Amino acid sequence: MNERNERIHGVACTFRKPSDVYHAAEKVRDAGWKQWDVHTPFPIHGMDQAMGLPRSPVPRLTLLGGVTGFLTGCLLTWYTNSADYPIVVGGKPFWSVIYPFPVLYECTILFAAFGTFFGQFIFNRLPRHHHPLFDHPQFARVSDDTFMIVLEATDPNFHVDESRNFLQSLGGQEITIVRD
Amino acid sequence: MSATPASLPAHWKKFLFAGLAALAVVWFFAFQGATHGDHRGPLSVILGALFWVATLIGLLMLTMITRVFDAGWAPVIRRTWELALPALPIVLLLSVVPMALIPKFRHLLWEWTNAEHLLPSGHAVGHDPILQAKSWFLNESFFLARIAYYVVFFAVLVWALRRGSFAQDTDRTAGHTHRLHAISAAGIPLAAVSLTMLAFDCLMALSYHWFSTMYGVWFFALSIRLALAFTVIATYRLSNGGWLDGILNQAHRHVLGCLMLAFTVFWAYISFSQYFLIYTANIPEETYWYNIREFDPVTGARNQWWGVSMYLIFGFFLLPFLSLLFYRTKIVAGRLLAVASIIFVGGLVDLWFNAVPRQINAAGAPEGFVVSPFLTAYLAVDVLAVLGFGALVVAVLLRAAGRHETIPVHDPRILESINYHE
Repeated sequence: MNERNERIHGVACTFRKPSDVYHAAEKVRDAGWKQWDVHTPFPIHGMDQAMGLPRSPVPRLTLLGGVTGFLTGCLLTWYTNSADYPIVVGGKPFWSVIYPFPVLYECTILFAAFGTFFGQFIFNRLPRHHHPLFDHPQFARVSDDTFMIVLEATDPNFHVDESRNFLQSLGGQEITIVRD
Repeated sequence: MSATPASLPAHWKKFLFAGLAALAVVWFFAFQGATHGDHRGPLSVILGALFWVATLIGLLMLTMITRVFDAGWAPVIRRTWELALPALPIVLLLSVVPMALIPKFRHLLWEWTNAEHLLPSGHAVGHDPILQAKSWFLNESFFLARIAYYVVFFAVLVWALRRGSFAQDTDRTAGHTHRLHAISAAGIPLAAVSLTMLAFDCLMALSYHWFSTMYGVWFFALSIRLALAFTVIATYRLSNGGWLDGILNQAHRHVLGCLMLAFTVFWAYISFSQYFLIYTANIPEETYWYNIREFDPVTGARNQWWGVSMYLIFGFFLLPFLSLLFYRTKIVAGRLLAVASIIFVGGLVDLWFNAVPRQINAAGAPEGFVVSPFLTAYLAVDVLAVLGFGALVVAVLLRAAGRHETIPVHDPRILESINYHE
C-alpha cells in the first residue's frame, strides 16, 4: 500500500457547475483536509473561505524586506557620507534622517518589493517546471468548462479508495487517480 | 417621511441647535479677540470651519472620483457623502465669508489686507516690496471675488451631483449615471484648482511672505484623509442602528482602510517633500516659515511647535501608517474606528501647525517679534468650533437622510455594491 501511495499524486474529480465545486470544497474543508486544491477556469468569489484558506504569509516577508531596506539605506548613507568620506554639502550635517530620506524610502520600497517577489516564489514553491496534473487528460479542460478538486496523497486523510468514495459522495463527475 | 429604518434623521434639529449654540460662543470669542486686536479669536472660527471644509471637499472629491472610476464598492457609502455635501457652502458662509467681508476681522487675520499694519521690521505692509510683487493676486477685491467664487462653485457642483443621483431614485434610468460620470470628469480638475486656491487664500495667505506650490496638494491630501476618517466613523455609527445596518460589510471596511493607508502615505509624502525642498534650498524667504515652527528666533531653543511637528510625524503619520499595514486593522470595525479617530484628531493638529504660528510684533523682543505659542486657552475655542461646525454637518446629513433614500436604490451598481467582497 505504501509503495503505491508514493507513486500516486492524488485523486482528481471533475464538477460541472461553479456552485457544485463550491459546496464540494466546503465539505472537503470541513472534513479537515489540508493538502488539496481546486482548479477553475475563472475566479469564484468566496472560494478562499469555502476552501478555508488562510491569508497569504507573503506580506510578512514584504514587511521584513521593507525594514531591511530602511536599515540598509541608513547604513549606506551613513557609511558613505559620514564615516568613510565625510564631506560638507550645503551646510547640512554629515548624517541626519532628513537629507537622505529619499534614499531611505527608495531602499525601503525596493527591498519590500524584493521581499514580495521572492516571498511569493518561496511560498508558491517556484520555480517548478512540471506538475503531475499536467499529464492528466482532463486537466486542460479546467481552463475551459470544467471544475476540478484534487485531493493530494501527502495529506494524512488520504487513502485511495476512501478518498475516491468521498469525492463520489460530493457529487463529482469523473474521478481519476493522478500518478506522479 | 422616508423609508429609513432607524429614527436617526429625527434628531437633526438637536444637532442644529447644539451647533448654533457652540458657534455663538466661538463667534463671541472672535469678537472679543478682534476688539482687543488679537487675531487668535477670529482664527478659531477659520480653524473650526477649515477642518470641516477640508472634510467636505474630501467627500466631494471621493464622490466624483468613485463616479469617474465606476467604483463597484462605492454606491451605498457614496449616498451618505451626498447627503452631507450641502454643508460645504453652508460652513463657508458661516465662517470664511463673514471673516473676509468684515474689515475688522479681515485686517487681523490677513495682515496683507491692512496697508497700515506694521511689520516686525518697522515698515508698513503697504510699502512691502514682497507684497507689491504679489499684489496682482493678493489684493482685496480679487480676494473677495475668489471667496465668493468658492461658495458659488462648490454649491453648484454639489447641487449638480446630488440632483442626478436623487433623480435616479424615482425615474430609475441609467442615464443619470452616465451624466454624473461626465459631470465628475469635468468637476475633478475644476475642484482641484478651486481647492488649491482656497488653501492659498484661507491658510497660506495667513503668512503672505511664504509660499509653497505643494500647498494645494497638501490640502487635498489632508482633505481626503479627513473625509475617509469621517466616512469610517460615520459608517461605524450608521451600521450600528443606522441606515447602513446590515449593509456595510467587512469588504467595505477593507477598501476604506486601504484608502486610508494610501492617503496616509500620500500626505506624508507631500508634507515631507515640501519640507525637504525648503530645507535643501535654504532660502530665508521660505525657511522662516519652518523656523518659527521649530525654535525661538533669538536663542535657538525649541519652542512649543517643535512638539507639535513631532506629533505630526509620529502621531499623524507613523502610528496610522504602521497600524494600517496590518490586514486585521482594516477589517475589524473597532480597530478601524480607532485609527480613523487618530487621523481625525491629527487633522486638527495639522491645521494648528499650518495656521496658528505667526510672527507677532513685540516692541521689547530682540528680533522685533515673538512667535505665537501653541498652548493657549484658544485651543478650547478651536475644539468648540470644530464641534460646532461638526454638529451643523451632522444636522445637514440627518435632515437630508429624512428626505431622500439613504442608499441609491436604483443605482445600476447597487447590487454589486451591497454584495461587495474582497
